Amino acid sequence: MDQTEATLRTIMADVLGLGETRAAALTAGSELFGAMPEFDSMAVAVVLTEVEDRLGIIIDDDEVDGELFATFGNLVAFCRTKKSA
Amino acid sequence: MTGSEFCLRLGPADGRVRVMFVPPLFEEANRMRRTLVMAMRALAANDIASLLPDLPGQNDSMIATADVTLAQWRRAVAENVAAEGAPVIIASVRSGALIDDTAVAAGWWRLAPVSGASLVRTMLRARVASDRERGVESNADGLLAEARNAPLLLAGNRLCPAMIAQLQVAQPAPCAPLRTVTLGGGTDQIDGSPLWLRAEPGEDAVLASAIAADITNWAATCARR
Repeated sequence: MDQTEATLRTIMADVLGLGETRAAALTAGSELFGAMPEFDSMAVAVVLTEVEDRLGIIIDDDEVDGELFATFGNLVAFCRTKKSA
Repeated sequence: MTGSEFCLRLGPADGRVRVMFVPPLFEEANRMRRTLVMAMRALAANDIASLLPDLPGQNDSMIATADVTLAQWRRAVAENVAAEGAPVIIASVRSGALIDDTAVAAGWWRLAPVSGASLVRTMLRARVASDRERGVESNADGLLAEARNAPLLLAGNRLCPAMIAQLQVAQPAPCAPLRTVTLGGGTDQIDGSPLWLRAEPGEDAVLASAIAADITNWAATCARR
C-alpha cells in the first residue's frame, strides 16, 4: 500500500467513522457512494477538502462525478494520477 | 447581543480564570458539541470553570443565520469575554479560531484551526453535490456569483453576501499567548478522533479528556506569566 492509499484510508475512517477494522478491510472494489449510508453529499464534500489538504492536490468541480466515488479503487486511482501530474 | 444568547456554564462560580469555548462554525459545531460539553465537565473536575456561549444565529439563537456576519461574531466573542469581569482563556475549535482574536483574553488555545476559504469550499461542494442529487446542475463559481447579491443556502445555512465574502478571506489571526494543537501523537498534538469531519460523530471520551488536560496545563502556564 502506498502513501496515497494509506492517507485515503485514514480520511475514509475519519469522515465515516469506520474504525480501524472496517477501514483496513476497504478494497479497490469496495463500493462507497450509494452503498454506505453515512456517505452522503456532505460527507463527499468533507472527503474532497481533506483529500486536497492532506495530499496537497487541487480537485476541480468538473472532475467530481459519480464514478470518482463509486469505489475505493476509483478514488485511489484518481488521486494517484493527480499526485503524479 | 451580550446576554441575549444561551450560555452553558460548568464548574466553580468565583472570580478565578475561566475557559470560554468558541465552537466551530456551522455544521461542525453540532458534531463537536457533545464532546466539548464532556471536556467542560472534565475541566470542572479539575476545578476550572468553563462556558460555552451560543453565537447569534447559531445553535439555540433566535436570530436568523442569514442576519449575521463574521464581523458580528467577532464582536460577540469579544463582548462575551468582556462581560465575564474575570480573566478568560479562549479555547477555540476549528473555524472558531476565525473569530477569537479581537477579544481581550488572558490566553488563547486553538484546536485544529482552519481557514475560512476551506470551510466555504467544503460547504459549496456539499451544495453542488446535493443539487446534483436533485438533478440540478450547479457549480462553485456560479453559486459564489449569486452570493454577491443575495443570501445563499450552503449546507443548510442561509448566509448573507457579507458573511460569505468575509469567510472567504478569513484566517486565524495571530494573538498571544497562544497554544495551537492538532490531533496525533507528536509534539503539540493531542489524542482523539476528528469528530468535526464525521457524518455521525457521537462522542469521543479520549478527545474530551485530552482537550481538558491540555487546556488545564495551558491555563497554568498562562497564569505564571
